[in-house]
Amino acid sequence: MQPLVNNAKIPLSKSNGKLDLSFEQKRGKTMMVDCYQHPPLKASRGLYLDGSSHVTVYLMESSGGLVAGDRNDFNIQVGQGANVTLRPQSATKVYPAFNNQPSSQQISINLEAGAELEWDHEEVIPFKDASFESKTSIQMTPSSSLLWGEILYPGREKRGESFVFDKCQTHLEIWVDHHCIAYDTLHLKPSEQNLKKLGALETYNFIGSLWFISPKLEGNDWNVDGLLEQHDNHKSGVSTLNGNGILIRWLSNRLPLLKKELENLSNYFKEIENTV
Amino acid sequence: MNKRNVDLSSPSSTGDISTNLLYLMHIHDSAFPIGSYTHSFGMETYIQSDHIRTKQDLFDFCSMYVHENLVYTDAIFVKEAFEKVQASDWDGLIRLENICDASKNAEETRVASRMMGKQFLQAILPVFESESLLRWKQLLDNKAIKGHFPITYSIYAVEMGYDLFTTMLTFIYSSTVGLVHNAVRAIPLGQKAGIQVIHQLIPEISYGAKNAMDKQLKDLSNHAVGLELSSMQHKFLQSRLFIS
Repeated sequence: MQPLVNNAKIPLSKSNGKLDLSFEQKRGKTMMVDCYQHPPLKASRGLYLDGSSHVTVYLMESSGGLVAGDRNDFNIQVGQGANVTLRPQSATKVYPAFNNQPSSQQISINLEAGAELEWDHEEVIPFKDASFESKTSIQMTPSSSLLWGEILYPGREKRGESFVFDKCQTHLEIWVDHHCIAYDTLHLKPSEQNLKKLGALETYNFIGSLWFISPKLEGNDWNVDGLLEQHDNHKSGVSTLNGNGILIRWLSNRLPLLKKELENLSNYFKEIENTV
Repeated sequence: MNKRNVDLSSPSSTGDISTNLLYLMHIHDSAFPIGSYTHSFGMETYIQSDHIRTKQDLFDFCSMYVHENLVYTDAIFVKEAFEKVQASDWDGLIRLENICDASKNAEETRVASRMMGKQFLQAILPVFESESLLRWKQLLDNKAIKGHFPITYSIYAVEMGYDLFTTMLTFIYSSTVGLVHNAVRAIPLGQKAGIQVIHQLIPEISYGAKNAMDKQLKDLSNHAVGLELSSMQHKFLQSRLFIS
């Protein structure tokens, strides 16, 4: 594993990172059976934490961020009954786009019957003048389950950047067989939109989302009210999806609280997932 | 349509532009029973928390509703559906409706849009013969679709021969004006204030419709996250005037 350096040099030429991972359940244990990696994307080896049969893999990005025109592709295949946790090791940092070339990221995930995937979790930080497009497509079956968390930053908050990027588009679609159960797109273009208005992003800087889709939700009397605080600078909502799914969405100016709640909720959903 | 030989007993064969205009006004009449007066799409949460209290608040909110919500969500579905109906691309239309359903994160808003579409079909089918709408109703009965209003409305608009811009404009108009009427009751505001707000909103609606003409499915955006959270929180309000 190579440590990520915070001030990694910006590469001069465009880069196309690629990471294709395949997982299969073998003799009661999930194995990473295939791993194709092209820099700057890299995957750790499969780790079995606490001696469990499910595998955890760290996703690494060795360039320090996406620069104009860069593109990262992820293809994740989770076979029948396999149980996988993927952890991006750092946030996706998007550098300013020169010459109008957006950086992009494509994540394509296929979950077979009984497969479980936790993506823990995606963070995007679009720097000043950055232009970013991401597309995540997830195909699953009624018996597979997914836990997907993400936080979109307004910029480098420690430098006081707040929606000074040029454009930031995120797109998440989740299909269960032939049914679309989530199609969530955020196309933020601060110069063309009134993002600060009541009803839009208001005075909030961070957008958090946690998606949990699982057959275990059927007939489950879940209740997350005690896990979510509501404040003037931090609020959230809970919604059920069409099918066995839940979305928690946050608008917040309190990043540590947002992260804590995201983690608590993730743990709560993992408990549901692990009930027999 | 044959303009010289107009059969007034059948709306679909009525080639007269002014007659068609009246049909359009009729379905956008606030008394037309699609239930828009029962839905606030999350606005009621803001009213109860005193975020929308004055005439100016209401105008600001509705203006946001047009530019940051409708233009990036339902108006795109109206437009995309319009083009698919024109091309008789029914598979594409069903897929689009599926995406429309999935794109509405807040459950109450999702259900409201389905309910309005269903009620529109119930109201229009007995008085308007249309093969497309009947087919759409069958798909609904067979649970192939949920009936979302923007798409159902578009099918009707194509059948009636309205052009795309008129269809988008009137959709945005009635969606927005419906909210103003509801807000006037819920805040409450005087009728005069409501009229002033609508008057002020009309140029915004027109601008929004023009803007939405350039958008496509790939431009869909749920960045009215505040409204989405308000809709999610709506069911927890102590007392509610509206279903959503």
